[in-house]
Formats: sequence, C-alpha cells, structure tokens
Amino acid sequence: MNERLKGLYKTIILEHNKEPFFFEKNEKATYGLKAYNQICGDRFELYFDVKNGLISDLTFHGFGCAISKASTSVLVKNLRGKDFMEALLFCRSFLSVAKNDEGLDEKLGEELEAFSAAKEFPGRLKCATLAWDEMIIFLEKNITK
Amino acid sequence: MIELKNIKSHFPIFSCHSDLVYLDNAATTQKPQSVIEAISNFYKKENTNIHRGIYPLAVSTSQKYEAVRVKIAQFLNANDPEEIVYTSGTTASVNLVVHSFLRPQLKMDDEVIISAMEHHANLIPWQMACKDVGAHLRVIPMNRLGELDLKEFGEMLTTKVKMIAVTHISNSLGSINPIEEMIDMAHQKGIPILVDGAQSVAHYPIDLQGLDVDFFTFSGHKLFGPTGIGVLYGKKQYLDKMQPIQFGGGMIKNVTFEKSIFSEVPQLFEAGTTNISGVIGLGAAIDYVNELNRDEVLGFLKRMENNLTSKLLEVDGLRIIGQAKKKSAIVSFSMESIHPHDIATFLGAENIAVRAGHHCTQPVMDFFQLPATTRVSFSIYNQEEEVDFFVKKIKEIKQFFG
Repeated sequence: MNERLKGLYKTIILEHNKEPFFFEKNEKATYGLKAYNQICGDRFELYFDVKNGLISDLTFHGFGCAISKASTSVLVKNLRGKDFMEALLFCRSFLSVAKNDEGLDEKLGEELEAFSAAKEFPGRLKCATLAWDEMIIFLEKNITK
Repeated sequence: MIELKNIKSHFPIFSCHSDLVYLDNAATTQKPQSVIEAISNFYKKENTNIHRGIYPLAVSTSQKYEAVRVKIAQFLNANDPEEIVYTSGTTASVNLVVHSFLRPQLKMDDEVIISAMEHHANLIPWQMACKDVGAHLRVIPMNRLGELDLKEFGEMLTTKVKMIAVTHISNSLGSINPIEEMIDMAHQKGIPILVDGAQSVAHYPIDLQGLDVDFFTFSGHKLFGPTGIGVLYGKKQYLDKMQPIQFGGGMIKNVTFEKSIFSEVPQLFEAGTTNISGVIGLGAAIDYVNELNRDEVLGFLKRMENNLTSKLLEVDGLRIIGQAKKKSAIVSFSMESIHPHDIATFLGAENIAVRAGHHCTQPVMDFFQLPATTRVSFSIYNQEEEVDFFVKKIKEIKQFFG
C-alpha cells in the first residue's frame, strides 16, 4: 500500500468515515445547506438552528467518499456551539490547512491535521473542502446581518 | 496483421509510463505511434486548409481528407462515403440529428424513445427537444442484470413515436444491446433509429448496410484516434432532407446578401474549417484497426472480462454492476462501505487508471441505487497479469478500510 496515501487516510479519516458525528437527517431544522460536488456526485446536507447567535443542533446526512464524509463530520463536531464569526474563522483556518503548506494552527488540533495531506492529491482536495466551502458561503452572507 | 503479443510497444504512452496499468479505455483509448505520427507529419509537412486552395499542397490535403471519408465508409460498410459526416464526436453527432432531423418535425405529444442505460450525450439532447415542443421522452426499461426489455420496447412502438435512439454498448454496464433486433422492430413500424456506437466501434465489426440502421455515431478517440473528431453516419435519404444547423464557410455554393445556396451533403454539415488533423489521425487509427485480427481481439477481451469478473466475485462485499448475458470488456462494481473515489485514489497511487463516478449515466446509478461505481474497461494493450495485480490491490484496499 502507498505510504503517502495511508497518511492521507490516517486513522482519523477512517474513523470519522465509519462512525461520523451527528450523522442524521433533520428536515425540521431552520437551515439546510446543500454541499454537492457535481463532478463526482458527493452530496451532503448540513442541518442546523441558531440559538442566541450560536450554531446549534448541527447534523449532516448524505453520501460521499471517505474524505468528504470525514471532513463533514469534523466540521459538524467543531462548529457546534460557535457563533458565526468564530465559525467562519475556524472554517478559513481549516481551508488553509487543507490547501496551503502553512504549518498547522495549534488551535485546530490534530483532527484537522489529517486533511493537510489532501494537498498532495489535488484530485481529492474538493472532497476535503466540500462542506466547508458551502458553510463559508453561508457564513459570509449572513455574518453582517 | 498485427499480433496482440507485444502490441503495447506500439503505444508510446507505455514507454513514458512503464508501469501504467491503463484500465480506463471506455473513457478514451491510447494512441498508437502511427496515429501520433500521422498528425505530427500533417502539421510538419502538409498543413493547409481544405476545399479552398488550388496550390498542390492544399489539393493534396483535400484529397487525403476525402480519402478518409471513403475509408470510414468502407470500415463501417456504408453504402456511400457521402453518408459519412465529420463532427467533433458522438455528442455533436447526436445533437446534429436532434436539431437537424428530429426537431423540425417533432410536435406536441409525439414520442421519442431512448433506453434506460443511455449516456447523457444520448439522453439530454432528446430530452431538450421533447421539452421544447411538449413531446414525451419514453425510456425502454432494463432488468437488474442490465438487459433491455424488448417486449416492453415492442409495446412502446406506437404511431406517436418519431425517433428511437439507443446505445450499442452501455458505457457504464458493458451490456451489448440486441440492436439488430431493435432496428428490425423499429423499421416494421417505420420509425427511424439511431445507434450510439461510441463503445462498440473500436472492437466490434460494424456492418451499417447489414444492420440497415438509419443513423450511427462514434468518436475517434475511443478508436485509438485523436479527440475532437467523430462521425455521424446517416442514410442518404435522411441526410438529404436535413437542414444545416451551422452556417458559414465551406458549406455554400453561392452567397449574395439576399440569399445563400448551400452545398450538398455531407459538406452541408461541415461549416467552417473542420478538424483536418483529426480526420487524418482518425484515418491512421482505422488503418491500425484494420491490421488487427478482430476475432482475436474479441476473444482476448472476453477472456479478460471473464477472468476479472470471476476473481472480483470472490471478494466479499463486492458487487458487479451490470451482468448482462452479452457483455463487452467493461466491468463496473461497487464495494460495501468503500466509496469508488477512495478506491480509485488508492488504485491511482499504484499507477492503475480506472474510472470512478457516475460515468455520465446518472439514471443508471439511480436505478441501482448507487451514487457511483468503479469501472474497469479493457483494450488491446492490456495484459493478463494486470488482472491479478488489480485484484490484489482491491483486496489490499478492502483490508485497509476494514
């Protein structure tokens, strides 16, 4: 097996893929963001409410590869309870980990480090950032309101 | 005659990537040295436009361009080279038939029939034409093995049906459809039928007159030729009635500000400077295929497909998608809880090229309730040992994902 790839799929990705956090549909949620990759067909939906300015009851559902599923699971786990500004900054940090060679921001923790290997596989980068890109679009639009 | 043994050496890509295991031939085939040289030599030694210049080089290019048309007609056993229209590929060929043949006669509540396993290129153009006029797109159903229901097809053939379009070989399932029978059934009701030969033309001998098919489409790049060149075959009686959908140079007899008089078929459909080097390359590709023993090729591909299928079926949790009785060398599969893109990424790291995705056949994926599959498709330069290597890697991936 290829060692670089094993690096990308570190235990963290495999674990999140097998047992994702808060993997459930919630049609009653106030917000339902669709993250869809038309090139490969990966499709996730993020459900959440906003209580006292904080993202609450964030869950997700859908299907995709191990990387996109794990990365969405990590998003859900980390954005729960954050306000829009905190969430946006967190999402941007994640993207810079996934896309750039910059060292890991210690605040983000080792869970995100797994995705830093995605940049070695340009074909798979979108898998790692799919849900995050959608979330950023939403947050940027709503943050000033 | 070219023997399959040592054939790999004819394809320079394998000298550049000695350990490449290329199993994505349904997407595009590799190009032999002779095709690459024909294109390169054209630009180095012969580059001129066609049908315009009267100096020797241009005359020679025009002659070669038309000679390929004759070659294609012979290759497919068409009645007349004028029935061969150059296009940019299968997609453009289908679109030309839709817009130039069907659309002008299609009315509200008419019907167009396609099959449940069409590539998007042989689905969306018909769908859009139907939508434009309020006609209905009908779909020949298939069973869980990926075989079309001919009984149902027979019942669909009413007087409302204005056109049928069906693929010869499914690009995502590998099913070989009984087009001979389907063409007969269509003609008994006087309905014109188009066959999409994109996946069949490289390996299966096509006899257009024997088939009596009305339209046939293919792309050069799946036939060891270059991209950007393809063919629409149409019976002369239909082509003669069709209006061009693109207008410009190269397709006119006389032009004034008041009125233009167009050329004859097939130039009528080839406005503008066409893909001349593509035509030259396609000609070289057909020369190459003509040197193959096609019975030997089909026997070899069948062995490869059987061998891979039986070995994959031994892998726990692996499901072959598409198990039609008559199948080409395309094997699609899914693995429990491992997404095709993860599989393809791991295979890619081992220099194994496969396709993972919906293969431009989303309705087929919906039918099997899958977001995507992993697809292996063989061609003449594949090696028997590549099957074993592939299966070994699949087993390793399964173990890694646990």
